[in-house]
Amino acid sequence: MRRSPLWLIVLAIAVVEVVGHYVVQSRVVTDGQWHAAAERVRAGWQAGDTVVAAPRWADPLVRRELGDLLSLSDAAPADLDRHRRLWALSIRGHRPDAAPDRPPDHDAQVGPIRVLRWDLEPEPVLYDFLAHVREARVTIADRPCRWQSGRPRGGGLGQGPIQPGARHQCDTRRSWLWVGATVQEDLDLLPRHCIWQHPAAPEVIAATFEDVPLGDRVVLAGDLYYEHERMLEHGPVEVAVFLDGVPLGRMIHRDGDGWKQMQVSTRIPERGDRERGDLRIEVTAPDPDMRTFCWAGTVREGDPE
Amino acid sequence: MSRAIGARDHLVGLCIAAAYVALLLVSSRELGMNRDEGFYVVAANRYAAWFEQLANDPSTAMTPEAVHHGWENNHEHPSLVKSVFALTWMAQQRWELFEMPSMAYRFGGMLSGGLLLWLIYIFGARAYGRQAGFFAAFAFALMPRVFYHSQLDCFDIPIALALTAVAYCWWRSLTDWRWAIIAGLVFGLALETKHNAWTLPAILWVHWVFVALGRRKAAGEAGPRRWVFLTLAIFGPLLALGGTLYFGVLVPTLAPEVPLRGSVELALLPIPLYLVTIALVGRWARAPRWQRLVPWGLIAMAVMGPVIFVALWPWMWFDTAARFREYASFHLNHTHYNMAYFGENYFAPPMPVGYPWVMTLFTVPLVTVALALAGIVARARALLPPLLLERLWPVGRAEPDSSRTDVLMFGMLLAPMVVISMPWTPIFGGTKHWITAYPFMAIFAGVAYVFVARAVRERLPGKIPAPRYVGSVGVAIVLMVAPAIETHHSHPFGLSHYTYAAGGVPGAADHGMNRQFWGFTTGSLTGWFTDEMPDGGSVWICDTTWTAWQMLQDDGHLPENIRASGDLYGADYAIVHHEHHFVEVDYQIWAAWGSVQPVHVLTYDGVPIISVYENPRRRARRERDAQGSRGSPVR
Repeated sequence: MRRSPLWLIVLAIAVVEVVGHYVVQSRVVTDGQWHAAAERVRAGWQAGDTVVAAPRWADPLVRRELGDLLSLSDAAPADLDRHRRLWALSIRGHRPDAAPDRPPDHDAQVGPIRVLRWDLEPEPVLYDFLAHVREARVTIADRPCRWQSGRPRGGGLGQGPIQPGARHQCDTRRSWLWVGATVQEDLDLLPRHCIWQHPAAPEVIAATFEDVPLGDRVVLAGDLYYEHERMLEHGPVEVAVFLDGVPLGRMIHRDGDGWKQMQVSTRIPERGDRERGDLRIEVTAPDPDMRTFCWAGTVREGDPE
Repeated sequence: MSRAIGARDHLVGLCIAAAYVALLLVSSRELGMNRDEGFYVVAANRYAAWFEQLANDPSTAMTPEAVHHGWENNHEHPSLVKSVFALTWMAQQRWELFEMPSMAYRFGGMLSGGLLLWLIYIFGARAYGRQAGFFAAFAFALMPRVFYHSQLDCFDIPIALALTAVAYCWWRSLTDWRWAIIAGLVFGLALETKHNAWTLPAILWVHWVFVALGRRKAAGEAGPRRWVFLTLAIFGPLLALGGTLYFGVLVPTLAPEVPLRGSVELALLPIPLYLVTIALVGRWARAPRWQRLVPWGLIAMAVMGPVIFVALWPWMWFDTAARFREYASFHLNHTHYNMAYFGENYFAPPMPVGYPWVMTLFTVPLVTVALALAGIVARARALLPPLLLERLWPVGRAEPDSSRTDVLMFGMLLAPMVVISMPWTPIFGGTKHWITAYPFMAIFAGVAYVFVARAVRERLPGKIPAPRYVGSVGVAIVLMVAPAIETHHSHPFGLSHYTYAAGGVPGAADHGMNRQFWGFTTGSLTGWFTDEMPDGGSVWICDTTWTAWQMLQDDGHLPENIRASGDLYGADYAIVHHEHHFVEVDYQIWAAWGSVQPVHVLTYDGVPIISVYENPRRRARRERDAQGSRGSPVR
């Protein structure tokens, strides 16, 4: 009895697999092609631009080519509201997650790479807390935390964000109680350039930024270190914003919230029309164990969306 | 189903094994050591020192202190394979057998890979014919991740060899009682290889149920007595083995307050009790061949296995119960690894049920998977339980044999993957954790290959003046081209490789699959570092271990003056192995050095594998030096 012709399908699969392998190889984007596409971006680069890779796994290649144009806040942004234009180097038909839901304003094909650009409408930022973390007055239970400069410390899987050399150190025995700028991975493993402000208990750690232009609102977002949030087993963290001692608003961050944003108005009728004031950020937690909170914030003009 | 296999077949097996080992030796030259290999190198060195002490001063070597010192390292895994690594390393020191030190440690693993091909050939040939066995050996050898693991001083290929060998001995013991003793011996070696072996009796017992039901006519005259005897033949071994395991292993391990001696004495009872009972019930059921309904292989495994396990592992010689408890506890409370799967980073159970199945589809060549599935379908009838077979599928081509060979093969293929699929199983991650299934997948692929070759031969015009085997060889070549190309292409990025079913490496990256683990890809950067640091320097090595880095230097891949560093801020370069959860390290480097720009990205098929960052202070120094040399007066 003859064998079924269905057995020959396996031979067809074998051939398809060989052909498929070489098709995949032929579509691999080379270093030279990345460089050519990056040069196109570099030629049109303006202040306020940022660039991302699509898909995200190609991000190291884009940073290799254009990383010199990116600040920590560009590569690890709190949001894209401050950027004027978003560039994307796209391969394999991917579209960047951060792109607005509309066609790009610029679209060019450079070899296998699409160079895309969206023109954004940035919000006027009057004050960036990250840029002023050094001048902040940081206290633990109303005692000043000492500003110090030294070598950054840390590094390695599971070690959490780098402790920067320049920081407000609040307690030498509890080395995690410091306030300063670092880059932390959020619950989605995305980078966030942010101000580390680990809560203590029962003390309150507060960072006061003096003589801040008040604009219309404070936009503040924060999250915990990925490994400390992902198990969803620890207590909440509270962030409170005060203007000249008057509470403006607060946000409760619970495990699972991820990078969470709050917006509070800086317009308080009772204060009159004073344009500047002291903004204090307090981070507290009933149980501060592994509450590795890191936040980024700005003072902006205009009504919230 | 067992076919006659002779010396010529073993010669064929030996040639396949030798060729594979030679290939592995050559390919391993450019394969950097991974994390676990580094740990086993350290353990092997300790074992080697103890072996030296044993040779020079046996009475001291046998003291509890010396045994503890020699064998305490890495005692979460048994010692057999690491002892082989130690012995080949000692041989290297004495005779310089290998081109590189790493090869000396790895040779035991490579040898396991070669022996496994030999065994697959013999097992496949005995069960389904020489063509099936021959093809199966190649199908297994040409799985990219199997090829990667076969080069390592790790346990994954040795345990695949050990479990396949136990299955083979068990299968032979069903028709020849002498093989039961060998099965017991090999099972002991398997226990001494890796903890996976403890689950094997359960798989073999399920197979035994099929065998016993198929042999029910040997259980006496038809009637209630036969069913009583058959019930005892099926569940008796389960109770006997369970009792032995309970009193001999579980009670001393989990209930340390129970006196060890009493428990072990109780462990000696169930098997003799079972044998006496089945002999008596066999007489009562008028079953003159009652011995055919005793799983002698399983009995031998239960008796010999734990004894060999303890005897070959010096660390178990003293304070045995407590140490076994520690060993068992490590695996019963295993930490969960991070593993990316379809864009999600899993770090705690449950892992999606489909994980091992999808990863198998994405990492084993598609044609091998298709052949294995086709082979299973072709033998599906023989996989049915005997009672169902007669009712549901009374007539068909695939005829089960009295040893229920197909059921054993299918069970050995299925069980490791099912175990990994379970929601309570710790997240291990790598395909290596169910690689013990792949020899049997390869055998089913061999079965299907025979069908495909016949189908082609039957359709070839009769006038073609070529010998009969030409068609079969041609089909084998066509079927093995893709696995050969993919395996070749996978080297030395074995764990980063994905097959066409995943869309290749870029397709897998699109799907958000794991890109690597163990930090082994650092070996692919040695040339770059050597070029960039002609005067030496330091590298912060991320997931690579110190031992692995040292081995790159010992092997001559890296000069001694390029040092590994644990100081991220102070190192000249820092690397990040791209895995989903390793982005943390990227961000640490950005924050420490104030730059997000890698100076080099190691890619595989265009997908980033490692980013290399240069310390900005080194860069400034380098640029200053370059400016200085340009500005210096020409003499």
